Amino acid sequence: MNKSKLRVIGAILMALIITMLPFLSACDTEEQVETIKIGITTPSSGQAAEKGSVMGHANLDAFEYINEELGGVAGHPIEVVWLDNGYDATKAVTNVQLFMDEGCVMYATASSAMMTATMETANRAGFPGLACFNAPNLHRPPQHIYGQMTDYGDDWTAFAKYYVENIWEGEGKPRMALHLLNNSTGYGARDAAMAKAEELGIEIISIDEHAATTMSEIESLTRIKALNPDVLYISSTPAPTAVIIKNAYELGMYPGITIACGHAGMTKELVNIAGADITEGVYGVFPTVSWGDDVPGMEKMIEYCLELHPEDEGNGDYITSWAQSLIIAEILRLTVENAGYEVLAEGGPEAWAAVEYQGIQQLDGYDVEGLHGPVSYVPGDNRLSKSLRIFQVQSGEIVPITGWIEAPLIKYEEYEWFGN
Amino acid sequence: MTLPCGVRSYKYADDMAIIRTKTQWVLFILMLVLLFTMPLYMPSNYWLGIATLTGITLIAATGLNLLLGYCGQLSIGHAGFIAVGAYTSAILTNRLGVPFPIALLCSGLTAGTIGIIFGIPSIRLKGFYLAITSIAAQFIILWVINHWSLTGGFMGMQVPYASIGSFVFKSRASQFYLVTSIAVLTIFIAKNIARSRVGRAFIAIRDNDLAAQVMGINLFFYKLLAFFIGCFMAGIAGSLLAHWMGFINTEYFSFADSILYVAMIIIGGLGTTIGPIFGVIFISTLEQYLTVGLVPFLERTFSMLPSGFATGVTPMLFGLVIVLFLILEPRGLAHRWSLFKSAYRLWPFSY
Repeated sequence: MNKSKLRVIGAILMALIITMLPFLSACDTEEQVETIKIGITTPSSGQAAEKGSVMGHANLDAFEYINEELGGVAGHPIEVVWLDNGYDATKAVTNVQLFMDEGCVMYATASSAMMTATMETANRAGFPGLACFNAPNLHRPPQHIYGQMTDYGDDWTAFAKYYVENIWEGEGKPRMALHLLNNSTGYGARDAAMAKAEELGIEIISIDEHAATTMSEIESLTRIKALNPDVLYISSTPAPTAVIIKNAYELGMYPGITIACGHAGMTKELVNIAGADITEGVYGVFPTVSWGDDVPGMEKMIEYCLELHPEDEGNGDYITSWAQSLIIAEILRLTVENAGYEVLAEGGPEAWAAVEYQGIQQLDGYDVEGLHGPVSYVPGDNRLSKSLRIFQVQSGEIVPITGWIEAPLIKYEEYEWFGN
Repeated sequence: MTLPCGVRSYKYADDMAIIRTKTQWVLFILMLVLLFTMPLYMPSNYWLGIATLTGITLIAATGLNLLLGYCGQLSIGHAGFIAVGAYTSAILTNRLGVPFPIALLCSGLTAGTIGIIFGIPSIRLKGFYLAITSIAAQFIILWVINHWSLTGGFMGMQVPYASIGSFVFKSRASQFYLVTSIAVLTIFIAKNIARSRVGRAFIAIRDNDLAAQVMGINLFFYKLLAFFIGCFMAGIAGSLLAHWMGFINTEYFSFADSILYVAMIIIGGLGTTIGPIFGVIFISTLEQYLTVGLVPFLERTFSMLPSGFATGVTPMLFGLVIVLFLILEPRGLAHRWSLFKSAYRLWPFSY
């Protein structure tokens, strides 16, 4: 046999092996167990991979813990259909269609942008979704999408209030510039500023937008610097937030003014990318506890993280998604308790309705093992946890500087500009 | 066109026919039957949805193939023109209550007109220079969409289901039939454009525009016509995509998508009608296989793999496939198909 034939046969064999790999996992000879299927889509590749990949790991690790150590939910293991959406809206929509067809009873996303892309598909079908990172447009007015935590609007409101009461020492109204990611992450903060700035006594002097792929914001920051702001508020993911803070540092704006960021950007990755010295003193908002805090769920979470994904140690996004998985398990437990397993067995509209009305809407003070504020459903408010804290970067560490702050509900749909 | 041994055309019409033998007719009808009965044997609604999305992509890729494959006008901003179609349809149906069929047609016309505007530089520019202007077109289009209140800006806008009269294309099967019918019609039109005077003018411009001009071909007219037709089809695809998705924002029309469209027609075979079909099916299948099959399997099974390896497989394999095609089969899958058909016609005589 000559060399070229060998090469061709080798290539075919390689292709066959790669093709068959996923099907090997389907060849399960064990007895069929009554599982409950859920769908999770994370941006584990693409523009927001620095968050999505960590969050995907945390979701899968948490369900491994739930299935192996807690015996699943009411004796039923949870089967996770996990897909990477690559921060691509079309892919996220097809992911959700797959979840609906595969018999998943609910689904969860990591990013608010991907939930924005998929929510119409889910709302049309009545398929309940749980967004880890959450923006007002996802749940105002409330439909079938729920926010695990407070939204980006709540971040702005909480920080603005804290700033006025604790940091601002000047006269008159503090002047705030907003630098926003050009999707729901940024627009959530903008909506809150439009709704509440006047009430809180803050003057919004400029609203700038940036893309997730931004490499430099020198131009926009030069313009902002000329307006002489007291505060720069950034609502974005870690990489663009780091770019903006670094640029502000290079322009001599910071230190000098106060910089704060929303919870999408306030993670360990921000400090890693921008540098501890540059980010020193930056404020931020985050709705979960800090890594290593003395709460009941921390020890087990760290144990799994160190065993399965040690590179994610210390990352706040790992906590949020681990908590998201715990909340999903609690929702399913309530649904099984209230509606029985049979309704969940095959998925479909009946199961989705059961999860929403007998599970999500029955949540009442679930403590999420202390990893974030208690989770309850309040009619008319699809944010399940309403608590957050203000943090500050101190010596390279993200340290909480307040206790839990309850974020009030803002009915954005009552403002005529909302959604327009 | 090469025919099996013993088949001869006696009339000019026979010689010009697309389908010329009984075998070809049987295969063609069989293929249509298989295509239109797909909802009956598809494993799930999800795969029917993927087939619908593939059909939409095929319409856009067919337009790009006429522009790039036949006329040689390098455009790397196709997703921008798809966005124009999508938003035109969304605004007309959602905000103005225009019926879907009219909105569909307007989407094509609007995208075609915008295509002509951005195609004007093609009179003076070629190759990479033209590619840069097409990239600019994509960014300008998306910027306008993001900053125009009528489009919902960055937050996007909802789009109702497609409907004709009182019939609403709500089920996955009905959406599949709508898209497939338009895709078949698009391919039929593209095939006939390629065989007409217009198509021959496109090919002459692609092969040597100076020689084409010397022969009396109006470069200005035909280049802009290529942009209009290519972008018209992109607009139709955009309209269908918007109604299929139910919600659009500019994140659906990324620059990466534009590059992927070019990759699809290169892999399928530039300048052939069947090329985009092969390219789109190949890329869509590969994407689904990686997203739904290989990546979750690697992530779940091999926890010892370095972080990001499993999810990194998708872009790596995509890149690898494109590089391999460019090296090993620059004429695309259509060329392989052509070789296969030739071998079939001459069988059992190899030479």
